Amino acid sequence: MTKPRVLVIIPAYNEEKSVGKVIAGLRRFCPEYDVVVINDGSRDNTAAVARAAGAQVIDLPFNLGIGGAMQTGYLYAYRHGYDIAIQMDADGQHEPAELPKIMAPLLAGEGDMIVGSRFVAPTGYRSPVGRRVGIWFLSFLLRLLSGQWIKDTTSGFRAVNREIICLFAHYYPTDYPEPEVLIILDKLGFRILEVPVEMKSRQAGRSSITPLRSLYYMAKVSLALLMNVLKKFDAYRLKGETG
Amino acid sequence: MRADIYFLAALFSFIFLLMVLNFVRRGRLKEQYAILWIFFGLILIVVSLRVEIIDWLAALLGVVYPPSLLFLLGIIFCLSLIVHLTVVVSRLEERVVRLTQEIALLWAEVGEGAKRKEEAAG
Repeated sequence: MTKPRVLVIIPAYNEEKSVGKVIAGLRRFCPEYDVVVINDGSRDNTAAVARAAGAQVIDLPFNLGIGGAMQTGYLYAYRHGYDIAIQMDADGQHEPAELPKIMAPLLAGEGDMIVGSRFVAPTGYRSPVGRRVGIWFLSFLLRLLSGQWIKDTTSGFRAVNREIICLFAHYYPTDYPEPEVLIILDKLGFRILEVPVEMKSRQAGRSSITPLRSLYYMAKVSLALLMNVLKKFDAYRLKGETG
Repeated sequence: MRADIYFLAALFSFIFLLMVLNFVRRGRLKEQYAILWIFFGLILIVVSLRVEIIDWLAALLGVVYPPSLLFLLGIIFCLSLIVHLTVVVSRLEERVVRLTQEIALLWAEVGEGAKRKEEAAG
């Protein structure tokens, strides 16, 4: 078997302080992977910093939001014939050194999507109580809706195979893509595997989530997840297979 | 007095129809919606000229107060139109997102080509 071509997709919105370090880390730990940064209409120097660090940069003319930006990356991976795509945050909480942990099970064919998780086994990462309650609730809801028991439903540290790249190039949820994707993949019969990884607290920038907002966030995510249960995705799966 | 208000209603309906036709003439309204509004305008004119239609329909459906039937029909019409419009907006939004992605990918492609040419020349 020839070596699989791997693309790392990093969506970035105003992440000039951290995106350079993330790319440098990737260059050091896995120089054989290609890196594409989707600059989601940043108003700072994200694009220039990413280019200087040696990544391919795709500039969206305005902010599409995480779903639309991420899908741009999958579209790129699909068109350029990559076998594996990895998604990573630009804020530095996902470490390039941890990549083998999500790559190994994918290469071994243990799952179609591997999710790097903070919670499967005890790791060094500690998050605020409110956040943990919210994350637990999402897991619980996902369990009810899909029968999957994924602990870190919002983790954006993931690796997928070619078949899922095809699917995501044709359909990717826009509102709360990370948890929504889990339901969609489950409905289409893809195998999702969660593995423990080390994550850092974000290096730069601030999370926009406050207690009151996170309640509102939970309600909206729950609704979005429920809608995915009602939705039909078989057509996209077909397109993915022939495309 | 009654006759006056009916005359006004008919006049309003007529002006409404003219406005729609004017939008069509200037190409500001797609045929699909133009047909809808022309049809709606014609119904308005007919109903305001022949109010008995509403009374007759109300009696047929067992509605005691005929004007309430008029409101009901109006609300149903507006609601279904709004639902239809949100469907249209959703589809448009999906297309804008896809176009934006395609343009960004194209630019990346063109940029790469230009860069390669430069390297080959230099």
